[in-house]
Amino acid sequence: MSLLSAHRLEVKRGENTLLSGLDFSLQPGRILVVLGPNGVGKSSLLLALAGMLPVEGEVLLSGKALEQYSRSDLAREIAWQGSLPPTEFGLSVDQRLNLAMDSSLVAGGEDKLRRCCKSLDIASLRTRMLGELSTGERQRVELAAVMLRDVPIWLLDEPTAHLDLRHQVAWLAIMRSQADAGRGILVVLHDVQQAFSVADDVVLMHGGGRVSFGSKEDLLVPEVLEDLYGTRLLQMQGGDGQGVLVPAYEGGGDEAA
Amino acid sequence: MPESRKWLLAAGLVALAIWLSLAIGGQWINPFAPASELDERILWELRWPRLVIAFAVGGMLALAGAWFQVLLGNALAEPYVLGVAGSAAVGAVSSLMLFPGSGLGMSAGAFIGAWIGIAAVLSFSYLGPARLLLAGIVLAAFWGALLALLLALLPEHRLGLALSWMMGDLSTSPIHEGGLLFVWIAALACGLALSRSLDAMLLGEMHATALGVDVRRLRIRLLFLASAVTAVAVTAAGTIGFVGLIVPHLMRLLFGSLHRVVLPASAIGGGVLLMLADTGARSMISPAELPVGVITALIGVPVFLWLLLRRA
Repeated sequence: MSLLSAHRLEVKRGENTLLSGLDFSLQPGRILVVLGPNGVGKSSLLLALAGMLPVEGEVLLSGKALEQYSRSDLAREIAWQGSLPPTEFGLSVDQRLNLAMDSSLVAGGEDKLRRCCKSLDIASLRTRMLGELSTGERQRVELAAVMLRDVPIWLLDEPTAHLDLRHQVAWLAIMRSQADAGRGILVVLHDVQQAFSVADDVVLMHGGGRVSFGSKEDLLVPEVLEDLYGTRLLQMQGGDGQGVLVPAYEGGGDEAA
Repeated sequence: MPESRKWLLAAGLVALAIWLSLAIGGQWINPFAPASELDERILWELRWPRLVIAFAVGGMLALAGAWFQVLLGNALAEPYVLGVAGSAAVGAVSSLMLFPGSGLGMSAGAFIGAWIGIAAVLSFSYLGPARLLLAGIVLAAFWGALLALLLALLPEHRLGLALSWMMGDLSTSPIHEGGLLFVWIAALACGLALSRSLDAMLLGEMHATALGVDVRRLRIRLLFLASAVTAVAVTAAGTIGFVGLIVPHLMRLLFGSLHRVVLPASAIGGGVLLMLADTGARSMISPAELPVGVITALIGVPVFLWLLLRRA
């Protein structure tokens, strides 16, 4: 049985239909990547699936309708990562992580906290205040907060944003290993190459409600992605012999001069 | 400083504040050895009830401040800044005009006024936390103008009573000190029951929701709690500003932001602050008294500006 599935899903914000007629399923052990231009509703899709936005159509969580879950029951099934939390009230890194470690949500306590902090390279930041950290460090704290949750589903909204290259690579590896351990991960990404390296399945959001769901092999191809982003892509040979998609930068310095 | 030592120090400060509030006044009285029967009566029939009223009202205002700050996601929110105190004053002075000579009428007016003020400021809640605070400040100016109009129309012989109540007056609470202490305990207990959800709200509405908090239900509960406690405090002691702003901030600096600590620390810290402010207010120009709100505003305004500058 799929962890999370949608049938004829429609998400609106006000009068604006962000997506309609989406069918997809998230299986245990798989990573579903959502791609699309800015403003097409990728974050809203995640909020809707996390039960934070109203939806039309059917969303099933472990075979049961999403709306039948209470807020606390949903929190036992889904971990959501989105915008960085405010630093207004002065929480330390440890305090923030402890909020994700409600005893009903996590087992293993301090050991698990230590392991997650080590994985995300934030062990030395634990006593610091969130407001003192760089944006990238705060993002890593948020990712650690997701890792701490004992839930079968992760919904991640641009988890690699603000991260340097080393930490981007580390996080992609963590996602893979977590999926291999049985989690279902639905992740919004902007980097096509990252999508290429971690996706099992793909949802493309074109805007105007148009969406498609399919396998990585069918959808992560130059023609489809060029249509999605409205820009030309070049397929190149990477150092490891695998294909690499890069945007074709046109209208360069010579023309400008 | 280790946590246990902080609490020990806090307990020592509370004991010292109680001793000072009992000892200082028009005349110095040693609470452990009153010199005469009159001193004993002054201590236990005048100063002790007033001390309890100051403690309970201060604690309630600090709790309301902490709740309004979480409710609005803005660390500068508190009943006075949001204009709630101003609307309560309008209610009280209107009552004084309509039902002269009725102390209870004035308190009822303040109670109704406080709720109207809260409803008015919350009708702008869709603007988001920062603009809501701005709306509160504008509403406070409106209530201030309305109050000035009412005061101009008020017969001269009632002006003194109105003015003293408006700046905070702990000498004539219509609610018994035992009742106030009961509200203080009940409010703190309710707050503590919600402390885990309040902590999650420090991460913002969406993160709190993702952690399993029913944000809408929590907001309604908090709103009711903060409003009810503000209304009781204002009814008991008039408008006293800035306790709700200074105390939760100070407690967060001392003990961190988690509410299972911030709420009891604020409830006690607010009480101690108002006890000391009231001791100063009734002894600085003795035998006359300063309104206690003058002292809290003199401390509170610079702290508010400092916080504002720190955020900028």
